[in-house]
Amino acid sequence: MDGASILIFSESSDALVELLTVGRALCTPAGGRVTAAAIGQTATALAEHCLARGADEALVLQTTAESFPGAEELVFGLREVVRAADPDTILIGATRIGADVVARLAQALEVPCASDCMTLCRDRDGNLEVERRIYGGRFTARQVLTGRPRIASLQPNRYPKAEPVQKPHGSIRQLAVKLPPPRVRTEVSSPRARSAVDVTKAEVIVAAGRGVKKVEDLALLDALAGALGGVLAGSRPLTGDVDWLPTDRRIGLSGQTVKPNLYIACGISGQIEHIVGMKGARTVVAINNDPKAPIHAEADYTIVGDLYEIVPAFLEACERAKRA
Amino acid sequence: METADASPLNILVCVKFVPDPNQLQADANGRPDLARAPFRISTFDENAIEAALQLSARHGGRVYGASIVTGQMPPRDVLLRALAMGLEALYLIKDETALAADPYRLAAALAAATRAILFAEKIPSWDLLICGEASADQYNAQVGPRLAVALDLPAIPYATRLEVRHGRVVANRAVDGRSETLETNLPALVTVGTEINQARMPTVLQVMGAGRKPIRDIPLAELPGFDAQTLGQRPSLRTIDVSAPPSARKRVTIEGKNAAELAAQLLSRLRADGEVKF
Repeated sequence: MDGASILIFSESSDALVELLTVGRALCTPAGGRVTAAAIGQTATALAEHCLARGADEALVLQTTAESFPGAEELVFGLREVVRAADPDTILIGATRIGADVVARLAQALEVPCASDCMTLCRDRDGNLEVERRIYGGRFTARQVLTGRPRIASLQPNRYPKAEPVQKPHGSIRQLAVKLPPPRVRTEVSSPRARSAVDVTKAEVIVAAGRGVKKVEDLALLDALAGALGGVLAGSRPLTGDVDWLPTDRRIGLSGQTVKPNLYIACGISGQIEHIVGMKGARTVVAINNDPKAPIHAEADYTIVGDLYEIVPAFLEACERAKRA
Repeated sequence: METADASPLNILVCVKFVPDPNQLQADANGRPDLARAPFRISTFDENAIEAALQLSARHGGRVYGASIVTGQMPPRDVLLRALAMGLEALYLIKDETALAADPYRLAAALAAATRAILFAEKIPSWDLLICGEASADQYNAQVGPRLAVALDLPAIPYATRLEVRHGRVVANRAVDGRSETLETNLPALVTVGTEINQARMPTVLQVMGAGRKPIRDIPLAELPGFDAQTLGQRPSLRTIDVSAPPSARKRVTIEGKNAAELAAQLLSRLRADGEVKF
């Protein structure tokens, strides 16, 4: 097929420059262009960020509203961008907002879309062939997406971020579109407490799951993380059902995707939601007293035992070794 | 304090019955052995039913379930389980030709189903549609937001707390580093995950008793307003292969007589691999 035309969108600048890498890869060898869509109060800055990293064009829908536009307004804006850019492929970062936006956009354009893709490439007919994890991450589906535009969302923090280029060549095109008044009104919006550490950059992660009985017990796992020069993270039950850890330390589909060298899962059963987020770890240790827990199949080293006995013993062994 | 208004709510919950991913094994060819996996209500859909029942307990009204059944019919005890939780009736939209196999078609089928059920139950309109935020098998996380667009309803995905006040739904959620309280007018659609509640577990007796409640089958092709032919020709998301990724994991079980021995074994393994530098 000749010159691909790829539109990328994410409200997160980190995710956006990853999409730039993926979009560029989809262009070769037939050539093509990657256009970034930027919508919202910080749209122009986002657009410049992309152009500096080699995007061919940025379509900007600058808004003055104080709050970030909601999914419905973003989709309204994106439809205008799609009309202007006429892309054959749209890539969207699968943050939680992005997952909502991509589904609504695809429905509005009356086309299918592929969520949370791990890999994507073109097949001989120019359709998108993607790989996704299904059935709790235990299986991989290969799927083919047809139509125009073909829409896919990609897990953030999975692809290299596009680097700044020597000679940016792209230009900004402003779109004069007034977003509709939101039907869903924001009464309160406040940033959640952020962790001092970024789990996506950690080399060692000790992750806590439902097997941890009390919030105070996290201190034990935190101490182990400290001894290994790593950080403490958690699965969805500990970062959502109860608020024992901030959500930016949640590993999994609705949280962070991590690639540490060492990942120690303590009292984590290993649901789909979680596995997808830690699958990229180099070495995985599972400590769980349930021999049937699915996490064991995802681990290099498995200990079937009570984390309340194993973790203190392992921490002690580490400290003894460090002293020696 | 604001008082909850008394008008009863008609709520429809979209339910998917899935092979339990945690009990799904690969067959000899590395394909999922769907015939041998027990079925269950998709995890977040249980939370969706629970959320609907809690609102209904507070405001009155009725909670119905709708499910598109593609391929294998879920076992009756799993269907009864959904009814035993407290659904008024369960509508099964039977998709024997697997037309609704991607979220785009699934949402179109559900949109038509919402209207068909209104008509069958002689309800003027839905106040609230509740979906799980994603299904436990495919995890596309598309159907809820798509259904809202198809029905032109305002939507609040990822609700962690729900309240209905004077014709509005108020929801809390935490997304991408922010805590939000959102509100919109009814009718609306919300999606929920595990955070919102602990879904009730019906007893065996309740499940047996639910046999008296109606399960109504509607063939997909007979849904009014559902144009199977046109939809069949639209672009698609087609699965060409499903396989268990070859596990690169060592899957070594550490053996030992006690915690200290296990810990020492683990440490020596991790040192040998270079993952622990001391």
